[in-house]
This record gives sequence, structure tokens and C-alpha cells, in this order.
Amino acid sequence: MLDPVLIANAVVSGLLLGCLYAIASMGLAVSFGMLDVVNIAHPAMMVLASCVIAALCAPTGFDPLLAALLIAPVFGLLGAGLYRLYHLYFERRGDEAMQGLAFFFGLMIVIEVSLVLVYGADQRWVETGYGGLSLGLGPVGLPLRMLLPALMSLACIAALLLWLRRSFTGRAVAAVAQDRDALRFLGADPIRIKTVAFGLSVALAAIAGGCLIVVQPVDAHSGHVFIGRVLAVVILAGLGSLPGTLVAALVFGVIENVTATLFGPAWSPAVAFSLLLAVLALRPQGMFGRAHA
Amino acid sequence: MAHDALVVQGLDAGYGAVRVLHDVSLRVPEGQIVALLGTNGNGKSTLMQSILGLVKPTRGTVRAWLDGREVDLTGRAPEEIVDLGVVLVPEGRRLFRDLTVEENLVLGAWRAAARREISHNLRLCFETFPRLEERRRQRVGSMSGGEQQMVAIGRALMSVPRILLVDEPSVGLAPIIVKQVIETIGSLKAKLGLTVLMAEQNFTQAIRIADRGSVLVHGSIAFEGETAESLRDNHLVRQFYLGT
Repeated sequence: MLDPVLIANAVVSGLLLGCLYAIASMGLAVSFGMLDVVNIAHPAMMVLASCVIAALCAPTGFDPLLAALLIAPVFGLLGAGLYRLYHLYFERRGDEAMQGLAFFFGLMIVIEVSLVLVYGADQRWVETGYGGLSLGLGPVGLPLRMLLPALMSLACIAALLLWLRRSFTGRAVAAVAQDRDALRFLGADPIRIKTVAFGLSVALAAIAGGCLIVVQPVDAHSGHVFIGRVLAVVILAGLGSLPGTLVAALVFGVIENVTATLFGPAWSPAVAFSLLLAVLALRPQGMFGRAHA
Repeated sequence: MAHDALVVQGLDAGYGAVRVLHDVSLRVPEGQIVALLGTNGNGKSTLMQSILGLVKPTRGTVRAWLDGREVDLTGRAPEEIVDLGVVLVPEGRRLFRDLTVEENLVLGAWRAAARREISHNLRLCFETFPRLEERRRQRVGSMSGGEQQMVAIGRALMSVPRILLVDEPSVGLAPIIVKQVIETIGSLKAKLGLTVLMAEQNFTQAIRIADRGSVLVHGSIAFEGETAESLRDNHLVRQFYLGT
């Protein structure tokens, strides 16, 4: 017999987990979905941020979520510089398909090896004052170590969507995703727009890293678990649809958690990825993507 | 006699080893509409893109007079040229299909000089094309070709052009819509005192609003008509367009 409280708890914690997936996927939805830059190192960048935040916060007691907001601009600048290199050596030469992918794959390995060399192979972890606390909504528990990162994730995503919709540069980012060279007719340099947007996507990886370290301990290779998931979420949503990415991440989180509760955790990736295959079979453009001729 | 707003002199341009334009010279007097005529593949778009800096000429110059000041456009980046107020309505419109009408229009105001006047120019666009005001929240990709051409012209107006380049505004449109689009371009000249260089293969429509024109054949100017009448009477034009 199914226990409704058990299911309700699984759904709620699935939504909270989905918020973590959403912030982890959102940067990739910008870089891969909108800019056509397959940054397969995105989860490694997120884990890099987690480790840096852990190194800053564990000894000082500084809050990791606040620390994430502080290091995000630094990651953004590094990301902008990285895009310039990528553009110069791959994109401009038309080599981005295979060689660009190899570049980001290599970057991922460099990040992981560097993390092992600097921090060792052990798990990193930050103690927060709210780590053991939980809000109760009737029989449904909301652990703060999940709830606070989820709220931060939603706030950052809302800010991102607002910026894309309302600001001049934000609209240009949406435009660059649709017709890169047409921006030149307006006097805007598409490469500059892409630099800003890619920098932003890496800044989002830093925010996601802050959320991640609050939710769970990380080691140098924690990104591996996320590569499949974030790519699945971005593709499930439909490339380039950011609200779709949020919804897809929440769906993914809930399905994983409910499956784990009912059938055991071993089943959750199988069910979640079967969903991806089913969606792609029925709607190749993804849940929220627009079919392009 | 109006002085020249745009002068192209002895221009050679092409793509890689392929030379498309040979020694092209052209002048566009201020406040006039100059038609650049020629059938497909004769280099009209290449000339438009060379003026805007998207194609780098191998020889020759492009100069403009903006606010009483002579500016050499040759070799400048497109971003810089647009910033100076030389704006192109590209062939095929090149709109952002997933954005709304209003979002497309406002993106036209990218250049610094245009950002201060967004609301004023938006009103101007909607006066010129009332249809766009009704559909300001509609996604551009879902609109008809004629409506999209209105958005494309409106987006260029949002840039506050001093010199407007229009590349093939009639392509892919129904004849009745072509007539409207051409008339609108003519009315913009009268209303805003715009200087326009319009590439067009639809001679009969283009000549209705053109003050003068040049015919481009195989990348060279084959004929330059100082008046609309001289264009209409020219034997090349008759041969290519009127079939007489």
C-alpha cells in the first residue's frame, strides 16, 4: 500500500532537488542551448566553485551561498576570457564541432586533476548553522540544507530570465541565439554579446557550486554524476528554452526521487533517462523547444 | 542641387578569389532615393554589404557625409558604420523569429544615438505601420512576409538612419504587398528626409519612387540614370526588364 505522506515527501524533496538541477543546468542551457558552445566542462566548473567555496568557508564559517554570490563575478570574468580563447582558436576557424568539444573535454580533465592536486581526493564539506535544521509543513519536511539552495537557485533563475527579457544586452543574447550575424546589421558585435553570455553561464556554474556544497559533500569528480543529468535536462527542455529548463529540471528531480522512494535509488536514473528518450521520440525538439524548419 | 550623402568610388570586392564587383562607382545625393537595379547574381547585395563593411573591398573607397562631415567608411567594421548612422535592411529581413515585434524593433535602437529616442521612434514606427502596433506582442516568426518586411524596415528606422540601405525589399512578397512596401519607402523619404539606396530587381516598382538609379550588370555599373525618366528610356533597362 502506498503511503501518501511518503509520496508527498518524495515529491517535495524531488522539487528541491530539481531546483539544484535547474541551477546546475541553467548555465549550460545558456552556453549550449543559446550560444551553441558545447561546454561539457560546465559541471566540472560547478565542482571547482564548490571546492573553492569549501576552502573559503570551512575554516572561516562564512556562509557558502553568500560566498557563491561573491565568487560568481570572478568566474564570470574567467568564463568571458575562456570564450575569447575558444572563439579565437576554434569557433572562428569553424573547428568547433569536434575540436571544440575536445577542448572542453580536456578542460574538464584539467580542472579535475588540478582539484585533486590542490585539495586531494577526499570529499570536501562545509558545516552551516542550518545544516541539521528542517521546516515542517505538516507531515512534510523541508530540510534547510535543501530549501535555502533551492530558493537561491530560483531567485537567480528569475533574475536571469528578467535580465534576458528586459535589458538591452539580455535581448541581444536572445537574438544571438537565433541569428548571430543579423546582430551586426544593428551595430552590435555578436562576439561581444556571446562573450558576455558565456561569462554569465560560467558565473551560474559558480552559483550552482555554492548550492551544491550546501546540499552534499563534493570531491574532484562529483561533476561526472551531473554531466548526464544536466545535458538530459537541457535537451529535455528543448535547446535554448530557459523556462523550459527550469520545468524539465523539476520534472527530472521529482521523477528521480519518487522512483527512488518506490523502487530504490538504483532505478531512478533508468526511469529518468527513459523519460528523456520517450520525449525525444515523441517531440524531437524537446518539451518546450520550437520546431525549426 | 542636393550634395552627395554617399559616394562609392572605383570599388572592387568579392569573396576569396571570386571578384564580384569591378570598378563600381555610385553616388547617392542627400534626401534622394537611388535605385540599384539588376537581376539576381549581378552583385547588388555584395555592393550593399561592402558599403556596410560586411565585405571588405580590395580596391576603391566608400565615403559618406554625415552631419556636414566627410567620413571615410572604407575598411571600417560594420558596428562602427551602423553607429555612424548608415543602416541596412538586409535581404531576407534577418529578423529574430522567436522575439516579439516590439522586441525586434527595440533591438534596432542598439546604437547609442538611437537609445535616447526609443519611445519617440517606436511611435514613429507604429504610425508608419499601424499593423505593427496591433501585433506588437506577437512573435515575428508567426507573421506574414509582408508584415515581417514592415518589422525589418521599422527595426532599421529605430536605428535613426542618416543613410538607409534597403536590400531587395520585394523579394518573396505578393505583388500587392510589394507595391505597399515600395510606397512606404517612398513616403519615408518625404516624411523624414531620408537618403535611401535601394537594391531591387523589380524595376517597375522601384522606378515609381526612385529619383535616380544605376544598373548593375556582372558586377559593373552598366548604366547610370540621372533621372527616373532617363532610366525608363534606357535600352539596357528595356532589354533586361521591360522586354522591349
